[in-house]
Amino acid sequence: MSVAAQTLRDGGLDRGPGSPFQPFDIDHPTHIAVVAPDTAFWALVRKERLAEILAGGPLVEEFGAKAAAFADEIDRLRFHLKPSAVYFNPTERCNLNCSYCYIPSEMRRAGEQMDKPKLLAALETLHAYFRGHMPADRLPQIIFHGAEPLLAREAIFAGIEAFGDRFRFGVQTNATLLDDAAVEFLTSHGVGIGLSLDGPTAAVADRTRRRWNGDGVFDHVVRAIERLDGYAGYNVICTMTKENLPHLTQMVEFFHDRRVPACMLNVTRCTQEGARTMHGSDDEVARAYLAALERTHELYRETGRKLVVANFANILIAILAPTARRLMCDISPCGGGRSFFALAPNGDLFPCSEFIGLAEFSGGNLFDRPIDDILKSPPFQKVIGRKVEDIAGCDVCPIRHFCGSPCPAEAYEMNGGMQQKGAFCHFYEEQVRYALRLIADGRHEDFLWDGWDDGTDVTCAIGTN
Amino acid sequence: MSKTLEKKPTAQSAEPRPEVIAIRKTCGDAEGTGLSHYVLMDKQVAR
Repeated sequence: MSVAAQTLRDGGLDRGPGSPFQPFDIDHPTHIAVVAPDTAFWALVRKERLAEILAGGPLVEEFGAKAAAFADEIDRLRFHLKPSAVYFNPTERCNLNCSYCYIPSEMRRAGEQMDKPKLLAALETLHAYFRGHMPADRLPQIIFHGAEPLLAREAIFAGIEAFGDRFRFGVQTNATLLDDAAVEFLTSHGVGIGLSLDGPTAAVADRTRRRWNGDGVFDHVVRAIERLDGYAGYNVICTMTKENLPHLTQMVEFFHDRRVPACMLNVTRCTQEGARTMHGSDDEVARAYLAALERTHELYRETGRKLVVANFANILIAILAPTARRLMCDISPCGGGRSFFALAPNGDLFPCSEFIGLAEFSGGNLFDRPIDDILKSPPFQKVIGRKVEDIAGCDVCPIRHFCGSPCPAEAYEMNGGMQQKGAFCHFYEEQVRYALRLIADGRHEDFLWDGWDDGTDVTCAIGTN
Repeated sequence: MSKTLEKKPTAQSAEPRPEVIAIRKTCGDAEGTGLSHYVLMDKQVAR
């Protein structure tokens, strides 16, 4: 058994009586991590000095002086955020039948779709809610999501026109309906645009992302990427499956070559059964993913231009500045139902889009119940109440606040209950281990977008000169 | 979104790394709102 595996199994090596630190081997030649898990505080120390450094000195003193503040900070992040974003699903329908989609196929074929009056009414209700809960100088976010939101194009464009000064808008689209006029409208309104592409060639990409008749859509997405060239507010998601893992390095080369500003390399969420045959093993995924990350660094060194892999950048930020993280899947409780929620076309609210296919997780309907009440409903509380301390294995894991044990929908559907782990425990370990190695080598800034720490304050800096 | 061209890649150094490295920054206004289905990279959407 590796040192790292033993560390995780035993909850720490050489922890020492009363020490708050759990060693966590990162497979680095000179350094090992020590983590005080409850505060998400960590340090990297030279392996041969581990016992001496943990026995006392500047690190122990610094942590002792600041542990309470670190604990407060994590508590605030985990339990005291208010929603500030909505994943707004204007339609259940989709013109694609991707093999791993978390929305049931019967919904995507013939589900409900909002018309313009209903969409505008929903935005008005959401606006009223947020104005009562958010500072006036902060705009809540609406992300049109799906299924394929551009099937309701007329309605969502009307919403963006009408509420452009009251929300920040984004749209996640499969790009098949993203023509020149749509690009012009969305970019001129400053809308964030997310695309999806699963391979660097049609032969690879079209294995998983296809129309109902089996035709691929690679060419559509490439045309959309070309149309969006130069627009800073767009990005592309690649879902990692068995079909594209061998091509992941070429995938990031493809994105970099086309000046994509940021991408995500996402695991296949296994909430729906169809996805469970699609994902590779944790080891396979980790190997391909870390190789792709290394390739992005090589490309940065070769060209001076970054391709940020946003989901990995978020893991790095969770380590460096927990409260500055942007994505809220990798935190416990996750962001579902507490920093964002999802709206279905019939007005039902769910903690997250991932639950939209699970009717028992509807907290109530936006059009006939106050949002405040819905957020307190049992389905929302069930998700908000899922925390790593209650999950066997996570409760003693040193990296539990860098991972968060996602995803509750996946755990519920795939692993038999909300208090189970999600699907990719080892993959998250490897991500964290790699992130800490980058910090040990002083390379971590190369994987983050410039300005990522604007608005943050330094609360600990040891060995950073 | 990121200002991707402002910095240069970290220079590789032959100097040994410090014996102890610990970094923590804090953000007074935590507002993470993203999920894995959509990238929210920055607080300001380009306009």
